Amino acid sequence: MLPLSIKDDEYKPAKFNLLLKLSGWFRSILADKTSRNLFFFLCLNLSFAFVELTYGIWSNSLGLISDSFHMFFDCTALLAGLAASVISRWRSNDSFSYGYVRAEVLAGFVNGLFLIFTAFFIFSEGVERALEPPDVHHERLLPVSVAGLLVNLVGIFVFQHGGHGHTHGDGGHGHSHSLFNGSLSHGHSHGGHGHSHEGHGGHGHSHDKHGHGGHGHSHGGHEDSHCQNELQRPGEGSSKQILQGVLLHIIADTLGSVGVIISALLMQKYDLMIADPICSMLIALLIGVSVVPLLKESIGILMQRTPPSLDNALPECYQRVQQLQGVYNLQEPHFWTLCTDVYIGTLKLLVAPDTDTRWILSQTHNIFTQVGVRQLYVQIDIAAM
Amino acid sequence: MEEKYSSNVLSGKLGMVEVPDSRLTRYIVLLILSKILKALGIFESYDILKVVHIVQFIFILKLGSAVILLVFQKPFSSGKLISKRQWIKLVKHAVLSCVISLLGFFGLTLCGPLRTLLVFEHSDVVVIALLGVLFTNSGGGPSKTRGAAVFIIAVICLLLFDNDQLMAKMGDHHPEGHHDSALTHFLYTTIALLGVADHKGGVVLLVISLCLKVAFHTAARKLSVEIGGAKRLYALDNLVSAAVLLPWVVVLSATTESKVYSWSSLIFPFGMIIFSVMILEFYVESICSAKMEAPRCARYGSFALFLSAVLLANFWTHPLTDQLRSMSKPAQQVSTEHVLSGGVIVSAIFFIMASSILSSPSKKGQKGTLVGYSPEGTPLYNFMGDALQHTSQSLPRFIKDSLKQILEEYDSRQIFYFLCLNLAFTFVELFYGVWTNSLGLISDGFHMLFDCSALVLGLFAALMTRWKATRIFSYGYGRVEILSGFINGLFLMVIAFFVFVESVTRVLDPPNINTDMLTPVSVGGLLVNLVGICAFSHAHSHGGKSCPSSDHGHSHHGHSHGEHSHGGHGHSHGGHGHSHGSGNGGMNANMRGVFLHVLADTLGSVGVIISTILIRQFGWLIADPICSLFIATLIFLSVIPLLKDACEVLLLRTPPEQEKDLNCALEKIEKIEGVLSYRDPHFWRHSATIIAGTIHLQVMSDVVEQRIIQQVTAILKDAGVNNLSIQVEKEAYFQHMSGLSTGFQDVLAMTQQMASMKYPNDGTLIM
Repeated sequence: MLPLSIKDDEYKPAKFNLLLKLSGWFRSILADKTSRNLFFFLCLNLSFAFVELTYGIWSNSLGLISDSFHMFFDCTALLAGLAASVISRWRSNDSFSYGYVRAEVLAGFVNGLFLIFTAFFIFSEGVERALEPPDVHHERLLPVSVAGLLVNLVGIFVFQHGGHGHTHGDGGHGHSHSLFNGSLSHGHSHGGHGHSHEGHGGHGHSHDKHGHGGHGHSHGGHEDSHCQNELQRPGEGSSKQILQGVLLHIIADTLGSVGVIISALLMQKYDLMIADPICSMLIALLIGVSVVPLLKESIGILMQRTPPSLDNALPECYQRVQQLQGVYNLQEPHFWTLCTDVYIGTLKLLVAPDTDTRWILSQTHNIFTQVGVRQLYVQIDIAAM
Repeated sequence: MEEKYSSNVLSGKLGMVEVPDSRLTRYIVLLILSKILKALGIFESYDILKVVHIVQFIFILKLGSAVILLVFQKPFSSGKLISKRQWIKLVKHAVLSCVISLLGFFGLTLCGPLRTLLVFEHSDVVVIALLGVLFTNSGGGPSKTRGAAVFIIAVICLLLFDNDQLMAKMGDHHPEGHHDSALTHFLYTTIALLGVADHKGGVVLLVISLCLKVAFHTAARKLSVEIGGAKRLYALDNLVSAAVLLPWVVVLSATTESKVYSWSSLIFPFGMIIFSVMILEFYVESICSAKMEAPRCARYGSFALFLSAVLLANFWTHPLTDQLRSMSKPAQQVSTEHVLSGGVIVSAIFFIMASSILSSPSKKGQKGTLVGYSPEGTPLYNFMGDALQHTSQSLPRFIKDSLKQILEEYDSRQIFYFLCLNLAFTFVELFYGVWTNSLGLISDGFHMLFDCSALVLGLFAALMTRWKATRIFSYGYGRVEILSGFINGLFLMVIAFFVFVESVTRVLDPPNINTDMLTPVSVGGLLVNLVGICAFSHAHSHGGKSCPSSDHGHSHHGHSHGEHSHGGHGHSHGGHGHSHGSGNGGMNANMRGVFLHVLADTLGSVGVIISTILIRQFGWLIADPICSLFIATLIFLSVIPLLKDACEVLLLRTPPEQEKDLNCALEKIEKIEGVLSYRDPHFWRHSATIIAGTIHLQVMSDVVEQRIIQQVTAILKDAGVNNLSIQVEKEAYFQHMSGLSTGFQDVLAMTQQMASMKYPNDGTLIM
């Protein structure tokens, strides 16, 4: 009846040759809409950068070459997002017992940091230029920046629109799975719920992807442990952080292009040389400000902060647990976020010697499940007489 | 969190009664607008003063505003009659105000509109607070002292670091060419006696006249009550001072020929100045100080004024504005404008800070200061009245406290000393750069400052790690050091990437580098960084035990070797760290990050020196980019292990060094009597000292749970897990839970429903 834990070494992939590995990656990228979008946009960006680079080398223009390198640097953000969305789907193994779902938080964090760096560099350069406006050759700036703007606009469109279209498709998907397993369809509804506080889409989608992972995994186990696993497994870590980070990055790029275009126009029409640094400083400030929430959130998660959404609910829960019959005290409560919307908690209860621990355990689980803590570890210590 | 509590009902009630902001907004907007107009007016009057004699200028101002005020205020027809003694007082008052405005405008001609606005236009509240700090004992607490210090720094900045080249150039002869009157001549010679350049003399003059102005305003308060209102006094004062100035103006225009070609073209600018500087500002200020408290008024006003002054100073000489102005004014000769230098901007920032600090209300303690949070998370306030109120933490004490904290531990002490060294070097460089006005040095100094940010981050992380766990961060802040190491590593990656890219472009097209300036600075930087490497690597080998890493060669290669063995060491240490203590043996991620950063800097300096030598000796221009390519790759490689380790921790990996022990422990747990199985074992490293773990145990229904918990805890503690929670489940419970878990979403949905129905949800419904 009870599931036995298995040392599953067979999960570890054997040595593949490179081609097989590549095709495997490729397939896993294409399997999921988020990563597919990311991948296509990355390809678009990369090809743009390569065209720019070859043209730059061909026409021997340093500006174009350096701009293309800048584009490559931008691509790293996308690459990080892509890698994270693939990695976060990896199954958990012995070493990574929670799976790799945290990769998405990390990717969001890295993207945010990169943006901050970029903003800082732009700002310092802007200050330098404001003090001493250089002669900018604005003839060649316009076409390149307009092209960049177009590419980035495509990106914004894809990531916003793709998310929307996706939630539609998702419903059917989740339902088909619900034949197998009831909790998945519920998962879907939850995804929709979490969506409400997220401007752009793609949310419900990644949830689905995670459901897949969980599903595949639970196949290995018993039918019985199946549902249990579903509860414990981070079933629907929606890659909100990744998307947020990538979207912010693209928006920052777009703003940059817009700024360049505006300042180029100003310089051409009015000869306002100071427009360029002021534009770039404003953009840097804008980027910096918009990144702060993302950074704050991901740092909070990485530092095992108590989830902000539970901040208010938890004291009430503690109180309710302490009011249970036989519970003396509640110690060492730790609650933290594994990935988006997956909360994990541990606590220790000091109970009277003659209480029914099972009842207390299930009650406690109930109480915390209601506020949304998915995975709870309750250690019951019996007080000495 | 904090904002939420600070706007608590309690504190709101106890705090001073504040008028809602929405009603004040229009006054604030008005105030800001008037200040901007005033700045505009001052800039305009600087231009006019180039052609019009100062006494004539003041006369016209006073006369114009007197005429307008007579129309509005009607000082003669309204109010009570003015006695003869009051008239005499009024004349004295007018003479004084003439002298002060003479000094003020003379300062304007000397040091330009921006500096005048910065120095002369402080509101009385600010100056009184400043003087109170300087000359009395009870200045009003540490924050006021801080404000005064900032103010003085700003003045000193203006005096010393303001490289007004134009004025320095013209220091020998007077900008006006010849002196129009004995008075101007007298002032010039006085300043020349002081032995400072003209604009600096102007600053001194303005500071003195600022003090005079404040004293004058304070003294005039009594008179204004006697006369019947400040507005009436102002109107009469303008009239009388115009009368006082009249004879002088007559004599002046009789003796000297005027430089003005057509007075008619000056009517519009004069009207604008009279309106913005003399009238609008006076009315708006009096209205605003009636509506809101004076300090607040002063804060917004001076902020707007200084900011608009800086912006105007930037745009005033711009071709576009010149174009605009040329429509309304005759074109002038290439004017003697005062340039906007770094010193002025710095001092403007300082002035803004000073005026906001000095004008902030000093009684913040009334609100009940937030003392902290109780363990349950409720905020604790300190409501002890005046006796215990502390307005702001004294800066010296704060510094002392944090210094003590920093010096307590080896890591942070090391970082701190090195930071000091680095900062000192940077400041020397910056000062020297500003002094000699060399842009290269200044930009290098800023680059150094930027590097220091990594050190500051490391220091901060080392401090923060020691913070106690709070309700929100229930595991403590130990992760900060890993995050900081991660950020530092990423940072280095970005830098390496940029260096790489730039050197690639340079390989394609090697630029001509002038090698003269590079060497001394980079040698200095190298020395500083070498010290840092010694310090940090000492710490390193100290913690990591014997490691043959003492090979700090003299050549570049030797360095790269040392660095590699370091990196390798750090990595392998991660591999078998358990062998010497599960504590914080070895270097933590934070220190590794800082160390790598310093190393990268050192490599950079070495690269610059080598490439300089190569270029000088052999003329290989390509040496520079190749060096940087090489260095970028080195940095890149050395950062990877750090990043990998940090990533593993952040991804909640089972600690690699404990993995084997944990597996053994799990096997042991399975063999404990009564344990059926375990599931979901999660072990992860939270910080250097904390390894957290959770596990579910399924036990037979007839065993004593407490005994099993103790056994398992003991076993896992041996394996290094020190923050453990074990959930023991018996068979019946497990069945129940599996029934429950199917409906996890049901529970959620039901909860929401219940919440909407206000149904007493005690969770027993699902059972």
